[in-house]
Amino acid sequence: MSRSASRSSLGGSLMALAIVASALGLIYSSHLCRELYAELQDLETSRWELEEDYSRLLLEQSTLASPHRVATTAHETLEMHEPELSPERVVQQ
Amino acid sequence: MTRARQSSDVVGRWRLWVVASLLLVLLALLVGRLVLLQVLDQDRGASFLRQQGAARAVRVAEIPAYRGLVTDRRGEPLAVSTPVVSLWANPQILRDSSRIADLAGALQMPVADLQEKIALYADKQFMYLARQQTPDRARAVLGLGIPGVRGQREYRRFYPAGEVVSQLVGLTNVDGQGIAGIEQSYESVLQGAPGRKRYIKDLHGDAVRDIGVVEEARSGTDLALSIDLRLQYMQHRELQRAMAETGAEAGAAVTIDAWTGEILAMTNHPVFNPNSRSGFDYAASRNRVVTDAFEPGSTMKPLTLVAALESGEFTIDTLIDTSPGRIRVGRKVLPDPRNYGEITVSRIIEKSSQVGVTKMAQVIGHEPILDVFRRFGLGQPSSIGFPGERSGVLPNRERWSDIEKVTLAFGYGLTATPLQIAHAYTVFANGGEKMPLTLLKRQPGERVSAERVISKALADQVVTVLHRVTGEEGTAKKARVEGFSVGGKTGTVHKVGPGGYQDDKYVALFVGISPIEKPRYVTAVIIDQPKGDAYGGGAAAAPVYARITDGVLRLRNVEPTEAPEINTQLAGLGGGH
Repeated sequence: MSRSASRSSLGGSLMALAIVASALGLIYSSHLCRELYAELQDLETSRWELEEDYSRLLLEQSTLASPHRVATTAHETLEMHEPELSPERVVQQ
Repeated sequence: MTRARQSSDVVGRWRLWVVASLLLVLLALLVGRLVLLQVLDQDRGASFLRQQGAARAVRVAEIPAYRGLVTDRRGEPLAVSTPVVSLWANPQILRDSSRIADLAGALQMPVADLQEKIALYADKQFMYLARQQTPDRARAVLGLGIPGVRGQREYRRFYPAGEVVSQLVGLTNVDGQGIAGIEQSYESVLQGAPGRKRYIKDLHGDAVRDIGVVEEARSGTDLALSIDLRLQYMQHRELQRAMAETGAEAGAAVTIDAWTGEILAMTNHPVFNPNSRSGFDYAASRNRVVTDAFEPGSTMKPLTLVAALESGEFTIDTLIDTSPGRIRVGRKVLPDPRNYGEITVSRIIEKSSQVGVTKMAQVIGHEPILDVFRRFGLGQPSSIGFPGERSGVLPNRERWSDIEKVTLAFGYGLTATPLQIAHAYTVFANGGEKMPLTLLKRQPGERVSAERVISKALADQVVTVLHRVTGEEGTAKKARVEGFSVGGKTGTVHKVGPGGYQDDKYVALFVGISPIEKPRYVTAVIIDQPKGDAYGGGAAAAPVYARITDGVLRLRNVEPTEAPEINTQLAGLGGGH
C-alpha cells in the first residue's frame, strides 16, 4: 500500500517536473521563434535595400552604356569613326 | 403609515431580489459560456476565441511580387522593376498634426495643397500623399516621424532604353499591369504572384509587428527577347534620320534573322517616352510593324515571279516584249516609265515593269498567284501574338475582273503588315523554308519546325534576281552596301484616302536580303508619306535599308565580300577575332 503510494507520488512529481520542463521549453522555443522572425524581418529589409541598390546600379549601368551615349562619346569626344572599307583586311582561319 | 412603510419595504425587497437574480442569471450565462468555450467544447471554443482575438488585432497585408526583367538577346535590360515607396497617411490622425508644414516641405508640395487634400479626405482612413517615390525621398519623409504617415513598398517599372524600344516593349500602368507591347502580351509570364503576410495592428491600425508569412511572393520570370539592342538603336537612329530627310510623318522598320525566325530589331516613328506617363500618346504607342496593314505594291512582284517560274511557262531568262511601254487592261492603261522593249523576266523585276508583270499575270492567271501569297504567310497572323496585331487580308471574290486579276500580281487588292512582308522574304533568304517568327530569343538546341514553301533552287533564283534589282539597271541602286552584296525590291504605293487612291500621297517601301552569298538577314523599311521628289521606294526607303544593313552586317560580324583583300597568311597570328 505505502509502496504503491510512494510510487504514485514519485510518478506525480516526475510528471510535474516534466510539465515544468515542457513549459520552460515552450517559453524558450517561442522566444527562439520570435528571434528568428526578427532576423527574417531584418533579412527582408536588407534584401529590399539590396534590391534598391541592384536596380539603381542596373539603371545606372544601362544609362552609361546606352548605345546612344557610346555613339555620341565615340564620335564627339573621342573623335572616332566607323572604319572605312579600304584599310579592312579579312583574316580567314 | 407603518403599513405603507411595510409595503414599500416589501416592494423594495422584492425589487432587490428581481435585480439580484437577473444579475445572477447573467453571471451564470457568462460563466456557462466560458465553461462551454474553455472546458466542455475545447476544440470549437479555442478556435472561436482565437478567431475573435485575431479579428480585433490581426490583419493581412500584401507582399508585392517582383515583376520579371525584360532584356535583349545579350542581356541588356529593357524593362526593370525598381523598389519604390508609396507614401500614404491616415487623414484622421494627420489633420490634427502640428507638423503639416514640415511634411509639405519634405514632400516638396505647397502647404495649402496638402491641407486641401487632407480636408478632401477628412472622413477617410486612407489617402496617398505621393505614389512611387524613390526610396531616398521616401526615407526623408518617413524620417520625420509624423504620426499617421506611412510608407508602402511597391515596384515601379523603368525602361532604360526608353523610346528606342517604346512600342515594342510597351509599358505597365501604375498598378504594375502590362497595358501595351511585350508587357501586355507576356503579362502572365512577367507578372509574379503577390504574397500575403499577417501582422498585428494597434488601436490606430498601425502595424505593431509581423507574425508570419501566409504565402510567399513569387517573382515573375525574366524574359530575353530576340531583339539586339545595338541593332535596335541603330535602326531607330536611321529611321529618325530618314524622317528628317524625307519629311515623312511616320515610318517603321523590322529586321529578321531568316535562319531562326528571330526578330532582331523592330522600330517605329513617331516614338514616345515610356518612362513618363504624362507624355503618353496613343498614336505614338502603335507598333506599326505589326498593326498597320496596307497594300504592299511592287514588293509582291518577287512572289508573282515565284508563281510564274512554278507555272513552267517562264524562266528568269524568258524574253517578253514590253513595247510600247504601256498596256491596256479593261478600261485602264498601265504605263511603264519608258519603253523597255523586249526584256527578260529578270529585267522585268529589276525595272519593276508594269507591262511585263501584266503580261506574265495574264499567262499564269490569278489563282496560282493567290496561292503563292497564301503559302508565303500573307493573310494569316504571324505567331508572335503581339497586342493589336493584324494579319492583313487576301482578296476573296466570286468574280474577278480582268484588271483585278492583273493588279493582284503587283500587290494591289490585298493588304499586309510590314512584318508579314518581311516574313515572306525570309523564305527566299532561308532556301525556300519559312521559319515561324518569334520575339523571344531562341534557346540553343530549341527545335523549330520550318515549313517548306518553295524549292531551294527556286529560292536561289529569286535571290539572284533580287540582287540584280540593286545592280546598275535596277530600281534600287541606293540600297547597295559598301563591301557587301545585297538584294531586295522597292515598292511605291499610293495611299488610300476618302476618294480612293490619292495621287500625291505615297508609302515608300523597301524589303531587302543580305548578304547575297549566304542570305540571312531580311529588313523591311516603310516610309509613310515622304515629301518632295524623293517619294519612291528606291529614293526614300532604299537608302535607309542600306544604312541599316551596313550596321546589321557589321554588328553580326559578317565578312565583307567585295572590296577588302582576303589575307590567309595572317590567320596563324590569331588576331582579329
